[in-house]
Amino acid sequence: MSESGHKSVLALKARTPIGLGLVLALLFHVVVLGAAFVLPQMFDKPHPLQKPIIAHMVALGKPRDQRLLPRKESPPPAAAAAAPSLAPSLAPAAPQLAKRPTLVSKPEPVAPKPLSRQQMMERALARAAGKASSEPKSRELPDPERAGSEKGSAQGTAATAEEGDEYATAVHDAILENYIVPSVISERERLYLTATVLAYIGPQGQILKHEIEKKSGNTVFDQALELAIQRTKLPPPPQAMARELRDSGIELNFKP
Amino acid sequence: MTKFAALFVALLPLSVRAARPVIDISGGRVQAYPLALARPLGAQEAGVAISSVLGQDFERSGLFKLLDPASFLAPASEGLTGIDFSKWQTVGAQALVKMSCEAAGAESVTCDLRLYDVSLGQETLHGTYSAPKNSQRQIAHRFGDDVVHFFTQEPGIFQTRIAYVRESEAGKQIISADWDGFNPQALTGASINLLPAWTPDAKLIAFTSFRDGAGAHIFTVDTASRAIKPLVLMGDFATGAAYAPDGSRFLFSASVADNTDVYVSQPDGSAGKRLTDARGIDISASWSPDGKRIAFVSERAGSPQIYTMAADGTDVRRLTYQGNYNQEPAWSPKGDLIAFSGRDEHRVFDLYTVAIESGKVTSLTQNAGTNEKPTWAPNGRYLLFSSTRGGHRQLWMVQPDGSNPHQISNEKSGASDPAWGPLTPR
Repeated sequence: MSESGHKSVLALKARTPIGLGLVLALLFHVVVLGAAFVLPQMFDKPHPLQKPIIAHMVALGKPRDQRLLPRKESPPPAAAAAAPSLAPSLAPAAPQLAKRPTLVSKPEPVAPKPLSRQQMMERALARAAGKASSEPKSRELPDPERAGSEKGSAQGTAATAEEGDEYATAVHDAILENYIVPSVISERERLYLTATVLAYIGPQGQILKHEIEKKSGNTVFDQALELAIQRTKLPPPPQAMARELRDSGIELNFKP
Repeated sequence: MTKFAALFVALLPLSVRAARPVIDISGGRVQAYPLALARPLGAQEAGVAISSVLGQDFERSGLFKLLDPASFLAPASEGLTGIDFSKWQTVGAQALVKMSCEAAGAESVTCDLRLYDVSLGQETLHGTYSAPKNSQRQIAHRFGDDVVHFFTQEPGIFQTRIAYVRESEAGKQIISADWDGFNPQALTGASINLLPAWTPDAKLIAFTSFRDGAGAHIFTVDTASRAIKPLVLMGDFATGAAYAPDGSRFLFSASVADNTDVYVSQPDGSAGKRLTDARGIDISASWSPDGKRIAFVSERAGSPQIYTMAADGTDVRRLTYQGNYNQEPAWSPKGDLIAFSGRDEHRVFDLYTVAIESGKVTSLTQNAGTNEKPTWAPNGRYLLFSSTRGGHRQLWMVQPDGSNPHQISNEKSGASDPAWGPLTPR
């Protein structure tokens, strides 16, 4: 038998050119990278029957006897429900009280003055109209011991923040203020709708342009996002971020 | 080298993407969709009447917020085409409905109804609907259902019918009516007739009646011919029929030898089989939407509470522990909730839901008269019930969170025991 007759079956029959190898390697990398982006989007949807987890803040009040049927959930205090623009008009009461001269002797506890029928009616009407309650304001003010920032969000959790984080918080809250999910979008669809909007922000906080980078697949939801962006007025970005926000923009990932 | 450069350029957008600040935003406020219902064109009498029904359907659905016609900037003469959408956008409309009706002779009406997307400035739904003049309301209901389906991909309920008991001095009559309480039709005389229950094909309504003079038993009435037939005559009394979602069986409660239990039977009333066998009363059975489980009321623990069991009577589980008088369970078509009426500490009945999985009880009505006998809309978006909040007992509807209440019936002496009929096939 000749030498060539004993060639291993594993040996390449012909030498593969380097160029082809590189192209194949490049193609392989493109496929892997593509899969890394596409596959999570295909499989990262929640199960359609999965219920949304909705957290509710516990209201201030006496615990209810567990053996009794529950009462309807009461609306949040006026200050929490009111738009931020109303907040300054509600707030002054507390600082004014704090500035009062301190009494040297310990004050006698004063029994609360019984309310007149008219006062009770006025309070009831104010509550019914959803206006600022005449209840003591201390109930509605945030916990004075809570660590955070004056520019922080009511929904925030961190005690300290970098300058960029503070601006992101401001953008989040300003957009959320105008973010309305139309009720015609079914509860089922609300579980998995997502969309990404790119917004380019000018030095004065104006939104120079925006584009929906990833549509949700639901026109009504996408239009709601457009409206939210159009209605939002943002504060000027910090100087260090201004160029980046103008040129690269900010990515807003929306879920209902 | 050039290939590496090309790869770098290809990956450049990813690096830019990574550098850009990213903010996740969720928890937007859910609000009704602003819809403008333009003044009808063409035959005014029919158009205005149909437009009024359509507006009421949209409003009661809780899905749409109807804009005030006084705010409209577009001229009333604006046609079905060549619409200046900027004028509708200015008044806040996101959807626009226009219609043009024609009376086809003295007997029938034909309407061209269109839905537009104001932001996109284009027509999104278009249909021509005809009906006899005396049932022209159906044109509004049909188009309304098409609009709801277009947006939600869920069936609308505007073409469904409801059954209830009309209360009068002469007795209690079984009535069927359109979902909005219009077009009521008496199906029985005025003896004492209670607890109507639809078959899934809407051809029959079973009801409890004292009509045979031998206590309460279950009968059926044909919704078309109004022919009445006995269904269950067993025991001292038999009451509360509930058909399985596929119509293959029905549940009822019967009292035999002083023990009231839940039974299951064939649709013709034959082959009745007892499912419960506990001390005390077991009553008010309701099917889960998949027909695999049954909710019912039992006194086995000392007070009436809501329980569930498998369709063969096994695997009994207690669902409610709060309150001392919970009754009338109704399993939601979506399967996740059971609505019921419960007596609160003020000894007034109100509506609640209990979540099947967690057992969490939520209050739907409060400080608004006595509220009883909840029944679900077949798409699970609404509950119909009887309430004394307006004086006489009437039928009211709310959304499953208790919001958006609307009075449905307007019976002179009162209405009770509602049962929402099945969906109309599309």
